[in-house]
Amino acid sequence: MNEHDMRSIDRRSVMKAAASAGLIGLAGCSGGAPEESDGGDGDGGDGGDGESTDSSTESGSDTYTIGMVDSLSGSLSAFGQRNQRGKEIALDDVNAVGVSGGELEISQQDDQSTSQGGVSAAQTLVNQEGVPLLIGTVGSGVSTAIHESVVQNTDVVQISQNSTSPNLTNFPDLLRMPPAGKAQAEAISALLDEDGNESAALAWINNDYGQSVGEAFIEAYDGEIVYNEPHDQGQSSYSSTISSMSDTDADAWVFITYQPEFATMSQEAFDLGVTDQAAWYGGDSVKGPKVLESAPEGSLDGMKAVVPSVPQDAENYQAFVSEFEERFGEEPTSWSAYAYDAVVVSALAIEAADEFTGAALSEVVRDVTRPEGEEATTYEDAHEILANGGSPSDVDYTGVSGPIDLDENGDPVGLLQVFEVVDHAYESGGFIEG
Amino acid sequence: MAQILQYLANGLVFSSIIILGSIGLSLVYSIADFANFAHGDTMTLGAYGAFVAFGVFGGLGGTVLGLPIGFFLALAVGMALAAVVAVLTHILVYKPLDTDSIGLLITSIGVAFVYRAVLQASFGTDFLQYDIRRSGPIPVLLDTLDVAVTQRDVAIIVSAAVLVAGLHLLLQRTTLGRKMRATADNPDLARVSGIRTDRVILVMWVVGSALAAAGGVFLALYSQLDPRIGFNILLVVFAAVILGGIGSVYGAMLGGLLIGMLHELTPLLGDIGLPISNAYAPAVAFVIMVAVLLVRPRGIAGDMT
Repeated sequence: MNEHDMRSIDRRSVMKAAASAGLIGLAGCSGGAPEESDGGDGDGGDGGDGESTDSSTESGSDTYTIGMVDSLSGSLSAFGQRNQRGKEIALDDVNAVGVSGGELEISQQDDQSTSQGGVSAAQTLVNQEGVPLLIGTVGSGVSTAIHESVVQNTDVVQISQNSTSPNLTNFPDLLRMPPAGKAQAEAISALLDEDGNESAALAWINNDYGQSVGEAFIEAYDGEIVYNEPHDQGQSSYSSTISSMSDTDADAWVFITYQPEFATMSQEAFDLGVTDQAAWYGGDSVKGPKVLESAPEGSLDGMKAVVPSVPQDAENYQAFVSEFEERFGEEPTSWSAYAYDAVVVSALAIEAADEFTGAALSEVVRDVTRPEGEEATTYEDAHEILANGGSPSDVDYTGVSGPIDLDENGDPVGLLQVFEVVDHAYESGGFIEG
Repeated sequence: MAQILQYLANGLVFSSIIILGSIGLSLVYSIADFANFAHGDTMTLGAYGAFVAFGVFGGLGGTVLGLPIGFFLALAVGMALAAVVAVLTHILVYKPLDTDSIGLLITSIGVAFVYRAVLQASFGTDFLQYDIRRSGPIPVLLDTLDVAVTQRDVAIIVSAAVLVAGLHLLLQRTTLGRKMRATADNPDLARVSGIRTDRVILVMWVVGSALAAAGGVFLALYSQLDPRIGFNILLVVFAAVILGGIGSVYGAMLGGLLIGMLHELTPLLGDIGLPISNAYAPAVAFVIMVAVLLVRPRGIAGDMT
């Protein structure tokens, strides 16, 4: 009897404990665990940052420290790793020339691909280290979370290196390098029409990015949408999503999701034997070497992807590619190019601004990317115009990722590229202006 | 109808993985008396151990259940690694700690972060694959029942069944099993009866962690391997353990089966017109867990050990 009482009390306290700890666990799944936000990433702010920010107000060889939030772990780490390489090359290019007679330094934090991780990373950079300019980040929901909870109502400038959600357009002070996902969604829809698909099944990831690109797709698509369901990030299995999609008679399946999620789905579709049931289409997340690597040979053939792209024939992009290949032994993706340009635009803003403060930087950051001024395709050229007494509007930096030309909403003019999987490899199917 | 069978087949595979995870969690609770949040990352650890071992043994010829023999060797290595790490963690961390079950619980969350950090630092955060070709659905089942099941699914279900049956025999037919049950039931009484409970506790950690590792390996085999797979599935495993009756091994098995099935059967709700999408499958599974607990507050098998 006594033992029974003991056990029921035990159970109650365990339930309580499990519930409260479950909240922590949930935060880990969807909101981002706070555990690794400071320190876990080897590239995080090193000790000297605080001093270097201070020294930037002095004259002579100054160090200008800006912040960067990147997805070094989590669902979006594939993008984050590409960013790191672009950033590294950009830093070297910038520092080979110099910024306002000094050096550019980037203090970096990991957002773990989650909003909570992103906000705490940005708080460290903005509130503790006091950076006036913040590059960040990959996930659209994470970028807006950072903007709303850390950057808004301060004069800090935020430039997202990879976010494509149409929702970012609603935050004019949240600048970004890749073109908005709306253009991407419209391009996917146009592809579906072109290929004669009269009905579509749409699976979108249950977050800001998936929802807004999904909605833009639905708005643009003339055919019938026979399946329109969200799925959660980081699930162990998506076979129920795939099973329900295969239960429809849609001509086309459209995936607006992330790479690990899509990799799982494509494997499960193969396991269920339904890969040939419909034509497959998708955004950025269906195009990546890991996606092909994890899919059985030939199972993705015929799939089409629309991804933000780079001007492949441009001279500055070619130079970026050869530098990238020399260092990392492989071709860069457009995500590296966006990160590269985010760093270069930041450096140009510092060069052009009267002082190293958020207010001064935000006045000039758009101008250095816009037309009317003299076109400059490298940091060196743009720097020269400014150093020779040019005003911010005398420069039109055209980056390795495209014309940039940031508009009032902080959105760039970008390029989109269509890919088709042929013989288990991506083949380019041309460019679209976005 | 075929669709329901398909959902059930998907559910059976997912359940097998959950069951392997939940047994260890329940064992550790019944003996060490705390909810071990490092359990999910123990699963991940085993999966990575097997990944490394598969790189070594992968070339070994012959197949069992459509998987190379090297894979089963790698599975054993992964299980052994997880057991060793769990025992070391018990000896170095949990045992010397003089704190209550809440303190141990929070400590285990910390341990989970350490495991994951080590894996991330060693393997990166990108997802990885066991280098085994996917074969697609088994034609016979697809033709006769219109249900798509792969050899790999069958291998997961059969392996899980073998491990669970092995555990059942261990618990019911061996002296060690009787000692384990006695210790779980009442540690003090077990100790005064002459059972060396310290050793029994170590065995519990070994068995629980090895089974968790097997679950992790199958999870990685089923989809792919990344440092968060175990942590992402941990809440579902907890639901299974609590539904089954925490501390009860057989309850954990039953709970795992139910939760896995519920999770994969969620699309049926949409098919009968309820506007609940697959994205909310975990929520549905948890709602049903709470409903069952309201009727049977000690879980389905709360009185069994």
